[in-house]
Amino acid sequence: MKFKAWLKTITFYEILVGMAATMRHLLRYKPITLQYPHEKRTLPDSYRGMLALLRYDDGTEKCVGCDLCEAACPSRVIRVVSSEVPGEPTKRYASEYYMDMTRCLFCGMCVEACPVDALGMTREYEWAVYDKRNLLLNKQQLLAIGDRSYPVREKRLEFQHPNVAFFNVAFKNLPAKGT
Amino acid sequence: MGLKPATNPDVEAASIDLTIDGKTVTAKDGVSLYDVISSTGKIIPAMCYHYTFDPFGSCGMCLVMQEGKKAPVRSCTAKATAGMIIRTEGDDLFQARKKAVEKHLSVHPLDCPVCDADGHCELQDMAFQHQVTTLANAKQKLIPEDTRSLVLDFNMNRCIACGECINICKDVLMIDALQFMKKGGFTQVVAKGDAPLACEFCGDCLAVCPVGAITNKFSKYLYKPWQLKKTTTTCNYCGDGCQMHVETKDNEVVRVTSPLSWKNKWGDRSETAKGHGGLCVRGRFGFQFIDSKARLTQPLIRKDRKLTESPWIETVETVVGRLADIKARYGPNAIAGLITARCSNEELYLFQKLMRAAIGTNHLDSSARYGHLNFVHAAQHALGVGRMTNDSADITKAKSILVVGSNITETNPVFSLRVKEAIRVYKSQVIVVDSANTNLAKLASHPMLVKPGTEGLFVKGLVKSVIEQDLIDTDVTGRHAQAFAALKQAVAGLSLDAVASATGVSKVQINEAASVFAEAPRSVIICGEGIVRRPGGYQHVLALIDLLWVTGKLGRPGCGINTVTEEANEQGAVDMGTSPEFLPGQVPSDSDEARTKFSKAWSTPLPNKGVGAGLMDILKKCRNGEIKALYLVGENPLGTLPASAEVKPALEKLELLIVQDPFMTESAQLAHIVLPACTFAEKDGTMTSQDGKVQRIRQTMDPIGESLPDWQILAAIGSGLGCASMEYESSQDIQREIMKLLPGYYNLGQPKKVTVNADGYLSNGYQAEAAGRYCAEQKAADGGKRFSLTMGQLLYHSGKLSTQASGLLLIASSAGQLHMSLQDMERMGLKDGDRVRVWSAKGTAELSARADLSVLPGSCFYPEHFNSPPIKDFMTVEVDAVTGVPYFKQAAVSVEKA
Ligand code: SF4
Ligand code: SF4
Ligand code: SF4
Ligand code: SF4
Ligand code: SF4
Ligand code: FES
Repeated sequence: MKFKAWLKTITFYEILVGMAATMRHLLRYKPITLQYPHEKRTLPDSYRGMLALLRYDDGTEKCVGCDLCEAACPSRVIRVVSSEVPGEPTKRYASEYYMDMTRCLFCGMCVEACPVDALGMTREYEWAVYDKRNLLLNKQQLLAIGDRSYPVREKRLEFQHPNVAFFNVAFKNLPAKGT
Repeated sequence: MGLKPATNPDVEAASIDLTIDGKTVTAKDGVSLYDVISSTGKIIPAMCYHYTFDPFGSCGMCLVMQEGKKAPVRSCTAKATAGMIIRTEGDDLFQARKKAVEKHLSVHPLDCPVCDADGHCELQDMAFQHQVTTLANAKQKLIPEDTRSLVLDFNMNRCIACGECINICKDVLMIDALQFMKKGGFTQVVAKGDAPLACEFCGDCLAVCPVGAITNKFSKYLYKPWQLKKTTTTCNYCGDGCQMHVETKDNEVVRVTSPLSWKNKWGDRSETAKGHGGLCVRGRFGFQFIDSKARLTQPLIRKDRKLTESPWIETVETVVGRLADIKARYGPNAIAGLITARCSNEELYLFQKLMRAAIGTNHLDSSARYGHLNFVHAAQHALGVGRMTNDSADITKAKSILVVGSNITETNPVFSLRVKEAIRVYKSQVIVVDSANTNLAKLASHPMLVKPGTEGLFVKGLVKSVIEQDLIDTDVTGRHAQAFAALKQAVAGLSLDAVASATGVSKVQINEAASVFAEAPRSVIICGEGIVRRPGGYQHVLALIDLLWVTGKLGRPGCGINTVTEEANEQGAVDMGTSPEFLPGQVPSDSDEARTKFSKAWSTPLPNKGVGAGLMDILKKCRNGEIKALYLVGENPLGTLPASAEVKPALEKLELLIVQDPFMTESAQLAHIVLPACTFAEKDGTMTSQDGKVQRIRQTMDPIGESLPDWQILAAIGSGLGCASMEYESSQDIQREIMKLLPGYYNLGQPKKVTVNADGYLSNGYQAEAAGRYCAEQKAADGGKRFSLTMGQLLYHSGKLSTQASGLLLIASSAGQLHMSLQDMERMGLKDGDRVRVWSAKGTAELSARADLSVLPGSCFYPEHFNSPPIKDFMTVEVDAVTGVPYFKQAAVSVEKA
């Protein structure tokens, strides 16, 4: 018994056991790290990346300026400034919309909260910037992200009536049809 | 509490016992069962109930089980009766209430995300509380939104037909502008006759609407309730001192809400005698001046004839340096100051301290001089109390109310609700004496339309009539037999026939008014601008006090004489001593005792006794060069007084004119130094309402630009001038100082009861005074002019301040119109909006005319808030001999089609 223990000590047996996996990989080399940016991973559909504002198929904005995303956000990323659509007293929209992405934790609560599915999470993640201020996004920027990430747009709801306040995307005046 | 409080407040309703959830509860007979339940602290859902008006019973939420009945009953409309056994909880009731919510929701749109009520909606709360998740048969209403009114939008898809808006407008406000109408298969709320809503725009319907069916145009879609910071403060427009919630988002005022709200629906019905918590159009919709673009944001100093921006430190140094220089060269009496009564008590106190202690002058005055001081002086002189003698509850419960010369529903709308409640609930007799057919006159039992400017004469006629009809209280008059004899003798020369012909009211009516007033057990007087702002105002208030005295009402509980004020803190201005004649606490400024007290407190001697000029004297002294420097805090005499008061030459003659104001006023344009001040929304402090309640104003947002609260500027100048005791950290410091000097002044919201004592007045020199008071008034010759032109206030405006509020300008634009009677317009072939030329010896002006049903033929009205065209320049100024109040609201003019 004593001899066995002595033998293990002088041959660094425990260390060899511990290193076994390392040694095996040394011999049978198979790379795991992706060679980013030369290689990119395929992301799952449920990936929670950069946020975006979406449009309906006819180019009108989905957002009704209801401020529920602002209320749902745990880190106060969002600021919605809502207004009446000029000339259409029933309709409400977000005249301004800001996201301070330096604070976002990509929890997706805002997307959950939106009653008209106007927010989406994209698979964009390449948002490193030299100037943090570039991460304060306005409505136009957020819509642009949506435009490039969601080429297939949701069809606008069938039920549109000028006397109904909700789903105000039926408005004629604003904004001009996007691309 | 009550279905309706007992009509006669002298009779107590009987007590009854009933059982609620197994407990015995004692209640008053005849009150609503719902009130009894909520008085035990149990809140059961109720969507169409509000304690300020009678139950309507349409929502079906307040269900309870009554023993002996099979189905649940609506507790709001059920009367509590003795022996009832009531159960308020249980699964059956929960299900029944849930059914009611489902019924409302089944015709309700899915608007929550875009609805202004979202998060502050009773229907939402109820749906959540009753776990309504699916609806079997839902349908859409698709009613177009009614956006025709200037202020309110009606989205009837969201209406639950609770009737609260209609009921508050009809019952509490007695305006009755709304009604239900069946349109498109649904019951909808529409303005009377389905016309565009044109009402008093108090917005109380908006406040009580439990859902988002009524929205406010000025803040529609701009917010969600959770985004707003809510600050409770006191309205800065009129002397009613309404409490309000200013709701802000960052540094922007989004909306103003009132304590009256559907959230606040449980209360004791008899408590509404003190007030119902609502606001008027100015308070609720006139908030835009606070963050207006026109606000001054930088101190300005005149350099090379131009006002140029300058930093605060330099500006205050200049102010201090130039004031010290003028004081050194000409003495302290070459400096004078005027302050507006929209400032807080602390600022008013500090202003007079700056004037008296730091500068050493007694030339100071406030805008209370424009009329309120007439009332204060008369009441001080006769009764020893320098303010109105009743509180709101007294007025509500009075049996007869004499409203003289006060278009109270326009000038002080929320206070006028006390009179309306008196009419409606307590069945009071109301005598309205006015030269216009006011809204209150239309509701009053005894409207008395007098010729313009004869309100005072009518009052004298009442005194005469009371004596002639022997309606006097001989117990009371017997105590001062000599004084009564003198009064009798004084009125002997006055003939009722002459009064009748001069005022245009028949002798019979005068006698009837006198007997209604004299015979009621509780009679109150409310006098307003038609008395205190018209020639002889001081004497006319005293005549009203005579009327109270001879009818035995003086000092009797529930009786008294009251006034209303145009600016928010006129009472505070008087109490804080911003006038040459009073030190703080309304003590005469030549009382030795008070002088010692204050000079010790301020550790400096006070200005000499007997020196001191009020508003009109200050302007005179400016003109003749005695006063070299004038400090205007929020005051704008140039924009207020007519050209004949020669304000412009007075201001131009000054070596130094300092104007401290939130806005660039006419006077500020002439100033050498302009200091940007904050509005009430950016500072802390207190205000004293006309009935003596001291109420807080609270800071709702940061000061705009570089503007500073007035007290900070005053304190900086004071300490700059070397007054050691003028360094304050906050307005609380000033408050503490006032508390020490005027113990008991800060009653914080509680009306202070006053006791009146006229003995001294009646036994000393009353004879001579009475003799002078009742001599016949000589009428100024009108020089063949056919129209009597009156300047007064509009409901939608207050002073000049409101002309900076875009919301109010939308309702009543600043292009002033001449209000004329329909008859005159027809006679002259005029239509609404036609141009007319107005002229008198003082000049001529052209403006558009409009028909106003309250104006009598032969007279016309111009809102005093507007100076385009400057109709005020038609006025001559007459100064009251005793109180120095300038009278300039009436003139004789000719009008013709332009
Ligand atoms: S993902 Fe989460 S943290 Fe980011 S904006 Fe939405 S709610 Fe806010
Ligand atoms: S009224 Fe209430 S329930 Fe109806 S849409 Fe508005 S927030 Fe929703
Ligand atoms: S704003 Fe006031 S007066 Fe007008 S309808 Fe509403 S409650 Fe009546
Ligand atoms: S508008 Fe509002 S207050 Fe009026 S009935 Fe409809 S829900 Fe009730
Ligand atoms: S203006 Fe007068 S009545 Fe109207 S809300 Fe303000 S204090 Fe009340
Ligand atoms: S509260 Fe009783 S029916 Fe509405």
